[in-house]
Amino acid sequence: MVDEATPELLRQRQERVKRMRHEDGATYNPFDAPDGRGIPYALEMVPVPLTTEEWRHLEQGLMQRATLLERILADVYGPQQLLKSGLLPPELIFANPRFLPVCHGIRPAGGRFLPFYAADCYRGSDGVFRVLRDYGGTPVGLGYALENRMVISRIFAELYHGTQIRRLAPFFRAFQTAMGSRALSRREDPNIALLSPGPESPIYFEQALLSRYLGYPLVEGPDLTVRNGRVFLKKLAGLEPVDALFRHVDDRHSDPFALRRDTTLGVAGLIQAAREGTIDIVNPVGAAFVDTPLLSLLLPRLCRHLLEEALVLAGHGGLWCGEEEGRREALRRAAELHFMPALDDTAAIDPDPRRAVAASPLAVMAREAVMPSLVPVWSEGGLAMRPLLMRLFVCASEGGFTVLPGGLGMTAVDVETLLSGVPERLASKDIWVLSDEPVEPFSMMSGLHSVGDFRRSSDLPSRVADNLLWLGRYLERAEGQVRLLRAIFRRLAGESRPEDIPELSFLLALLQAIGVTVPLSADRRPDQAALALALDEALFHRERAQSVAAVLKLVQTAARNVRDRLSRDCWRVIDRLEDFGDGGGSDPLELLDNTLFSLSAFSGMAMEGMTRGLGWRFMDMGRRIERALHQTALLRFALPEEGMGRPYALEALLEVADSIMTYRARYRTAFMTAPVLDLLLLDESNPKSLVFQLERLAGHVDLLPRQNERRYAGVEARLALEMLTAARLVDITATISTGDASSPDRQLGGFLDSMAEKLLEFAQQLSAHYLTRVTATPHFSHCAGDHGP
Amino acid sequence: MRLRVSHTTAYSYSAPASLSQNEVYLTPRQTATQQVLSSELQLTPQPEYLHRRCDYFGNIAHVFMVQQGHRQLAVTAVSEVLTSAAPAVSPQATLAWEQVVERLGRHAAEDELAALQFSFASPMVVVEEEVRAYAARSFPSGRAVLAGALDLMGRIYGEFSYDKTASTVETSVGEVLASRRGVCQDFAHLAIACLRSLGLAARYVSGYLQTLPPPGRPRLVGADASHAWVALYVPDVGWVDFDPTNNMPVGESHITVAWGRDYSDVAPVKGVVMGGGTHTLEVRVDVVQLG
Repeated sequence: MVDEATPELLRQRQERVKRMRHEDGATYNPFDAPDGRGIPYALEMVPVPLTTEEWRHLEQGLMQRATLLERILADVYGPQQLLKSGLLPPELIFANPRFLPVCHGIRPAGGRFLPFYAADCYRGSDGVFRVLRDYGGTPVGLGYALENRMVISRIFAELYHGTQIRRLAPFFRAFQTAMGSRALSRREDPNIALLSPGPESPIYFEQALLSRYLGYPLVEGPDLTVRNGRVFLKKLAGLEPVDALFRHVDDRHSDPFALRRDTTLGVAGLIQAAREGTIDIVNPVGAAFVDTPLLSLLLPRLCRHLLEEALVLAGHGGLWCGEEEGRREALRRAAELHFMPALDDTAAIDPDPRRAVAASPLAVMAREAVMPSLVPVWSEGGLAMRPLLMRLFVCASEGGFTVLPGGLGMTAVDVETLLSGVPERLASKDIWVLSDEPVEPFSMMSGLHSVGDFRRSSDLPSRVADNLLWLGRYLERAEGQVRLLRAIFRRLAGESRPEDIPELSFLLALLQAIGVTVPLSADRRPDQAALALALDEALFHRERAQSVAAVLKLVQTAARNVRDRLSRDCWRVIDRLEDFGDGGGSDPLELLDNTLFSLSAFSGMAMEGMTRGLGWRFMDMGRRIERALHQTALLRFALPEEGMGRPYALEALLEVADSIMTYRARYRTAFMTAPVLDLLLLDESNPKSLVFQLERLAGHVDLLPRQNERRYAGVEARLALEMLTAARLVDITATISTGDASSPDRQLGGFLDSMAEKLLEFAQQLSAHYLTRVTATPHFSHCAGDHGP
Repeated sequence: MRLRVSHTTAYSYSAPASLSQNEVYLTPRQTATQQVLSSELQLTPQPEYLHRRCDYFGNIAHVFMVQQGHRQLAVTAVSEVLTSAAPAVSPQATLAWEQVVERLGRHAAEDELAALQFSFASPMVVVEEEVRAYAARSFPSGRAVLAGALDLMGRIYGEFSYDKTASTVETSVGEVLASRRGVCQDFAHLAIACLRSLGLAARYVSGYLQTLPPPGRPRLVGADASHAWVALYVPDVGWVDFDPTNNMPVGESHITVAWGRDYSDVAPVKGVVMGGGTHTLEVRVDVVQLG
């Protein structure tokens, strides 16, 4: 494949790989620091091939290793026979922060101590595969392996489909089936969720992708609560029990009640629920014991003892300084060995081996340098050879384990970087396992685009509803700003001098609706420099809460928080908004046109593509609230203007309110105040009118889940009705009967002011009713024994 | 000695708390020198969920959750125990401390292996170089282990002042060593850190101490507090408890509730509350001798 292609073609392909990965959203928090941080596991296109024989060996070895490690976990968190019989050094348990005493004695609800496992393997210069590290807490990389396969199989579609390469989907189906049947054994129609630390996680992409692919809703710690020893998901209509969790929050942060208190990532009471056996956690809290580096040195002996067979896949090996013999040998060969933590690999040891060993011998181990074999990598300059680690994944299946036929190939510029394991410093590759039999085409892609809620219910986690509401509001706010600014830039871009554009000062007055005030000179003409500055700030100022750039950033943050709810297409559009203002020196009019186009594309996709569920409802309510507020504000600032009532001003007003086409179609007349106001305020068929927004809000509120069955019982429902009635009662013709432009101001002004107030109150009530989040605080009793002798 | 202890922990919240999860270690342990005659836990408001278990260290732990809105939470434990003095051990007759370390390292006996887990660093007891240096002065080479421990206790008692304002539940051993102030929990942690720095096994014991009023004064009800001290593992003897806050051996007036590696394993009351705003805490402990 590589041989046949020209360098130019390869370059193009690698470029496509990069773009597809980016569009899938597999980048590190793309909104905050576009250049500050790298992309985790950046995909490089040349796959790693493994032959059928090689794979058979690896597969057999990994299944054995998973079996062995699961037996060890069950013993360590149970009878501790291995400790008592001297097969495990006591330090491995007693001095190991990865052993959690609070989890001792808990039997996992699903009966499996290690339902999910990963190992980093490499091929040595002797051609033998060895295991370098084991992961049992929260193995990372499965989502990237999946994403890589999706991209590479598209790029090399012909090659991929023409070669017998084992598919990944059957593994995920096995994972799903096993998890489902374990949960099913306790309750019919079980609810399974994926627990994520949230969008701040550098590998949030992976969690969102797995959530979708497996069909487990993505939840965060604050979404869950424990009642009566059970875990529940907080939803709009109430609490829904959770039977199983695919956990991506590490052991130490998974329960702020039983473990660390300085965290909000986990679920307070999770361990108590595990103790009660009401939840199957993948993996059970405490399973990160498997990750202890020292453990791998003991596996040959433990394998013979527990499984009565030799270890199929050797580990890298090493010497433990907690034992006399190992310590002596390690120090004798100190110059050639690499010293590292034996127990807590998050804590650094002294770089001087002798000092490190003197400080705490049991915390130190030494191993020979790792020399992984090199593989070809496509880099800027062409092909290069780089060291490779393969992260391979195993899941529990009925009666045993299933291995993913593939994995995450990891490369880096040098071995040291590779071993650091920092996702942003590594490049990744797809791993192709060749099959000697025809491969059955099988895919789970069909399920990928569905929104992951517990399927039988239309209900929604409160946090998600909250973010969708704000996403709708920010999108609409951005659109209103862009429309208004575009109207101004369009006029300034023409050939006329500003003072020759009659509606310019009117439009500049409307800018107050988006929080911008342009200082005017005595003759009510804008000062050129001040105008340019104000417009530039309105566009780009990142600190200014109301600038287009700032609001677009809020759009991205809100979107990121509900990333798993949005389709890939929606994501592409959101990604486009990312670059707003970064280009510098680009034509503002063109920029605004493009932005408006992207925003409209997003709205269109959201309108057409989102299920009409509660999520869509909250997002639409956000839009309606914001649009109603914007239209109200526009009119409020338009009415007192001198030019109001003149055709050019009315036309400009219709333009920024996005109703000019409707007006022309409806009235076929010159611009007149009464029909314009009627169209913007009361026309129930104009999707931009105030009444239209209010009708939609009232309709939504009526269909929200409620504890109380009475209609319009909630404050927000009453407010929605009140606003709608008040708007319908406005008599435009009466208010402007004098034909005088200043008259509507007083009467309509009062109405608009009270409308704006009510809209804000409505938004507040909606949040209070459905979206309230409370903070948790820890409390202790302090031992203060005060005793004189 | 027959003692009754009543221990109340009461929280008041400035705003309604919606969910309160708590774990309490308030039920005394049965030991060779302590018989538990009765022990009762009273919780207000009545929790919707209550769970009792024997934990990893053999203590009795209760987890409870109050799941409806509440502005107050009170936890009261009332227990009656019959205590007796531990058999006297002659400090000078115990093994030299180096031999104890060596015995622990070999852990040939089952209780030596069990004791070994109390010889390593734990969440609140981290051994630093200063601690090692402080401990070394009480343990010259060849000194009998219990004699060294009692000397250490005397030094802590003499060189540190009791100060309720000096520490919080999170205060580290290093901070206590630097400030020379603290409460029983801090002194216990310091003594444990010192003993572990030598390779000895020491555990944290949580409990109560009956206090007697100064001569001629009436006994004040509720003036007592929860207490904490240290136990040292001495091969061939077992665990020997001593109280560095008061520089005294642990005797009949001490009530043992629970033990662990440090405070974090056996905090009498700990929890997480959702909402509640700011909270105020009131603790009342009353130990009386019966008959």
